[in-house]
Amino acid sequence: MPETVTEAEKALAERQEETAQARTSSAQAVPATERRRAKTIEAKNVNLYYGSFHAVENVTMTIEPNKVTALIGSSGCGKTTFLRSLNRMHELTPGASVKGEITLDGENVYGSGVDPVKVRRLVGMVFQQPNPFPTMSIYDNVAAGLTLNSRRMKKPDKDAVVERSLRGAHLWDEVKDRLDRPGAGLSGGQQQRLCIARAIAVEPEVLLMDEPCSALDPVATLAVEDLIAELKNRYTIVVVTHNMQQAARASDVTAFFNLEESGKPGRLVEVDETETIFTKPSKQATEDYVSGRFG
Amino acid sequence: MPEGIRVEYQEELANLEASALEGLDMVNVALSRTMESVEHQDIELAQVVINDDDRIDGRYLEVHQSLITLLATQSPVATDLRLISSLLHVLKSIERMGDQCVNVCKVIPLSGTEAPADPEMVKLILTMGGHTRTLITQSKRAFEERNEEMARDLVRRDDVVDNLNRECFHLALEIGEDADKREWAMTMLLAARAIERIADNAVDIGEQVAFVVTGLFREFEDASHPS
Repeated sequence: MPETVTEAEKALAERQEETAQARTSSAQAVPATERRRAKTIEAKNVNLYYGSFHAVENVTMTIEPNKVTALIGSSGCGKTTFLRSLNRMHELTPGASVKGEITLDGENVYGSGVDPVKVRRLVGMVFQQPNPFPTMSIYDNVAAGLTLNSRRMKKPDKDAVVERSLRGAHLWDEVKDRLDRPGAGLSGGQQQRLCIARAIAVEPEVLLMDEPCSALDPVATLAVEDLIAELKNRYTIVVVTHNMQQAARASDVTAFFNLEESGKPGRLVEVDETETIFTKPSKQATEDYVSGRFG
Repeated sequence: MPEGIRVEYQEELANLEASALEGLDMVNVALSRTMESVEHQDIELAQVVINDDDRIDGRYLEVHQSLITLLATQSPVATDLRLISSLLHVLKSIERMGDQCVNVCKVIPLSGTEAPADPEMVKLILTMGGHTRTLITQSKRAFEERNEEMARDLVRRDDVVDNLNRECFHLALEIGEDADKREWAMTMLLAARAIERIADNAVDIGEQVAFVVTGLFREFEDASHPS
């Protein structure tokens, strides 16, 4: 079927062009990624529940600023639940509850009188499936966070934030001529970078990413990983990933979660420099998991 | 160790380790024959050792290629990664040991079948060969058993070989005025030096054992900074 081949070739050519563009844009100096000190997250004896089900038990760890921390572990080990507790999204699930303490540079995010919306502005989230607002334009998608946070801005200021965020997400060069087009018209990799742009538009301190590349092809995945490496200059980044190689490539620190058996709560088994986790982990369970002997 | 996941990969890695370490048995056979060639000035047997080195080289190439394939296809990490990295080093050491046997065998014809051999020096070299065979066997066992203590003990055994090598040197210096005998002694010094290097390679394998076990690479002894 020659027509199919032609279509496939066309798609491949477009993909290559897209990649080339992504590379060009990443080569340019982006002010949005200049270094600044982000905030430290401290989790102390964190226990998470869904109703009476104890999902995560006694997690104590420090998430360093300006570093990428990867959370790894098999399905159901509580890594995503733990991630969602860091910006108070866990409590959005009916019946969910939290015990223990999570602080952002010493401030308890679960303190009485702390507005969860403010916490979520400081601690942004990027999800597994790119989820741009489908009917909104690319421009409005990026500006959505600013509007939701009811910051009144003049058009030129807003333009500047949108451009800076899109540049920061390595997307500007690919979309600058079609900012008024719907965000849903972008490719999967571009949509995910659009979501990252939307997350960084409100200048958060921390970016949480829940398997940000699992719906992307390998090239788009590497583009997002490059972006993550650059974003850590400004943000504290926590990434949940099932892709062990991604944890090895893209993170500085790796935390391994595990559960002894189904129905038991997930626990933090080991947290260390990524290099150590993948060359000489100290716990046998970590060794078995990263070597692919279970999970 | 395998628990139903990646069993084939685990088996293949275990087989490659066994295959690489078998190279040490091949070296031990080559070294035994080399010593016999030295003892009896057996040029034919020396030629057998030289020809057979292709088998050791073949083993090196075969296992090396398979390890590279495992790296490319299985993304090994942690202990598996350390094991593969160390096996690549061990293979190189084995290949060098085989070459050193060849080096000794190549000098045997130079001294001729009726060489004016000095029995004391021959005895020293044979003793070196015996100790070196023990080093090779011990390095293999230390690797198989992941026994760091046994690996470190190779240094002590290597010191014995080094001392015997030095004794050879002194004997050669005092071998007398006879030109043929002096020439023979010179070629035997090259042989002693080659055997001494084989023992060093066994110590290198011991260092790889420590790396597999601890994740840290440290030379047991540093020639440029002796303790």
